[in-house]
Amino acid sequence: MRDFLDYLDFRRDHIFDLAVEHARIVLIAIVLASAISIVLGVLTYRRDRIAALVLGIQGSALTVPSLALFGLLIPIFGLGFRPVLVALVIYALLPITRNTVTGLRSVDPAIVESAQGMGMGRLRRLVRIELPLAWPVILTGIRVSTVMLVGIAAIGAYLNGPGLGEDIFAGLSRIGTPTALHLTLGGTLGVIALALLFDAFYLAVGRITTSRGTR
Amino acid sequence: MSSATAMIRLENLTKRFPGQHENAVDSLNLEISDGEIVILVGPSGCGKTTTLRLINRLIEPTSGRIYLEGEDVTSVNPDRLRRRMGYVIQAVGLFPHLTIADNIATVPNMLRWNRRRISDRVNELIEMVGMDPTVYAKRYPKELSGGQRQRIGVARAIAADPPVILMDEPFSAIDPINRGRLQNEFLQLQTVIRKTIVFVTHDIDEAIKMGDRIAILDQGSTIAQYDSPETILTAPASQFVEDFIGAGASLKRLNLTRVSDVELIEWPVAELSADRGAIREALLRSEKGSVLLLDGERRPQRWVNAIDLEHTGTPVPELGLAAAPAIQAGATLFDALNEMLNSLQGASAVVDSDGVYRGVIEIETIASAIRSMRADARRRYRGEEDGVPTDESTDAALNPMGRS
Repeated sequence: MRDFLDYLDFRRDHIFDLAVEHARIVLIAIVLASAISIVLGVLTYRRDRIAALVLGIQGSALTVPSLALFGLLIPIFGLGFRPVLVALVIYALLPITRNTVTGLRSVDPAIVESAQGMGMGRLRRLVRIELPLAWPVILTGIRVSTVMLVGIAAIGAYLNGPGLGEDIFAGLSRIGTPTALHLTLGGTLGVIALALLFDAFYLAVGRITTSRGTR
Repeated sequence: MSSATAMIRLENLTKRFPGQHENAVDSLNLEISDGEIVILVGPSGCGKTTTLRLINRLIEPTSGRIYLEGEDVTSVNPDRLRRRMGYVIQAVGLFPHLTIADNIATVPNMLRWNRRRISDRVNELIEMVGMDPTVYAKRYPKELSGGQRQRIGVARAIAADPPVILMDEPFSAIDPINRGRLQNEFLQLQTVIRKTIVFVTHDIDEAIKMGDRIAILDQGSTIAQYDSPETILTAPASQFVEDFIGAGASLKRLNLTRVSDVELIEWPVAELSADRGAIREALLRSEKGSVLLLDGERRPQRWVNAIDLEHTGTPVPELGLAAAPAIQAGATLFDALNEMLNSLQGASAVVDSDGVYRGVIEIETIASAIRSMRADARRRYRGEEDGVPTDESTDAALNPMGRS
């Protein structure tokens, strides 16, 4: 235990750098996935069968083990940052799309009708009424995806991707040596801490971006 | 009626929903005059709500034409058309994530009014529906009661001063006591705003109370009768109309007369701050059994009689019985009777819309209105007159036991 704390202290800057890289790729993936998912959700929420199809495809993508998916992406994108980013975006799609569809569908039809009856066009209704009312549900989807990605991104180190996975894999490849446990444990704790930080971040975002009238 | 005065004119308006064999609305022709409240009433499934939604084209007609202020609006941009018509639905549909002020400002915002004008208008409207803008403008819909939400729904519908308001069962979700109050307030408001209102309800009592004219609709939105409430009650055009009005038609006529239409009784009054001697004097000067105490703004407070005055231990403002709730002058005789039965008092103070004392109405006044209605009805059923009464107020037919 004492050894491990010494180790953490010694490697502080290194772990911090890895965590920043880790957070960075997760954030980029989440921004891309959110943009794609919200557009997909908006386009499909009124069309039951197309929505089911889109969610089905995304759902089956989610069942592919991450290591296998990373492997499949190597021939297309090679190694490093890019294939990891693509894989993370794919994994993040389902929770956000599904929650966008659910959120938009759960808006009270009477509210939409009165908006329409007052002369709000399709786009204005979507932007001013439906999306703001669906937002808390969409945000929950984004939060779930983010926490999931923090974990999956660690495996990205297998493809030379950035982040805390680097230490985890370094440790695993050195099993039997005294530093193996330290490396792996350090990386893992970093992943957990990052996930918790993201969660707190979304709590704050939710508070700021949700109207007092719908809390 | 010439089409020049028609605010809304529907011409052979027809709607058939895909996959159905019958027309939901079948070749409807209807003219609605400027400044009039027209009620569409009928059994469920008759197409009354569909008709209302055809007018603002939330449902597009299969055929036929819609005219607004003489202009054919059947194929203009529907969003622009809807901004010229207020729309109030049963569920109100206030936007929960926006403040009351922002809700009311919805249409003015779309019409690009400047900020100053919008905020002035918002405050004016909140006041107009009897609420305090400094308290409510920044609140959210969930912080309001059902009745307050309905008031704001109406304020939002008239925000940009549209010539027409469409209302789909606006008061059905409110409890009966508040419903009556909201109806009276709305009629009061209408005397100021003078809009053309199309109002859908399934409740014939509400139709009689609220309507300048009532269209009773049968299946396919066929007009069974389109007349004043008075004529519909006294001269139903068909068995269908008679059945729809139902057995209670008699007492329903009490809904046609307002308290302000009958002669109020002069009652002895005294100031709440008056001493016992002055009150006793006022009592002795009249033939009535009690004195009505008014506060500084002449609002009725207590009924006090001679026995109450003996209770020297109680301060004057707490003597006797509470005079609240007073009846609004705009309420109907039906409301007044209801109020008296609820409060178990044979008389009730009448106030104007500011709560200022106007007079007293006694249960005998209402009873005599009923008696004269019954006499009229008897004459009509004996074939002594053609059934259309000449006097609007109490000289009206009341169905005795004939129908039940």
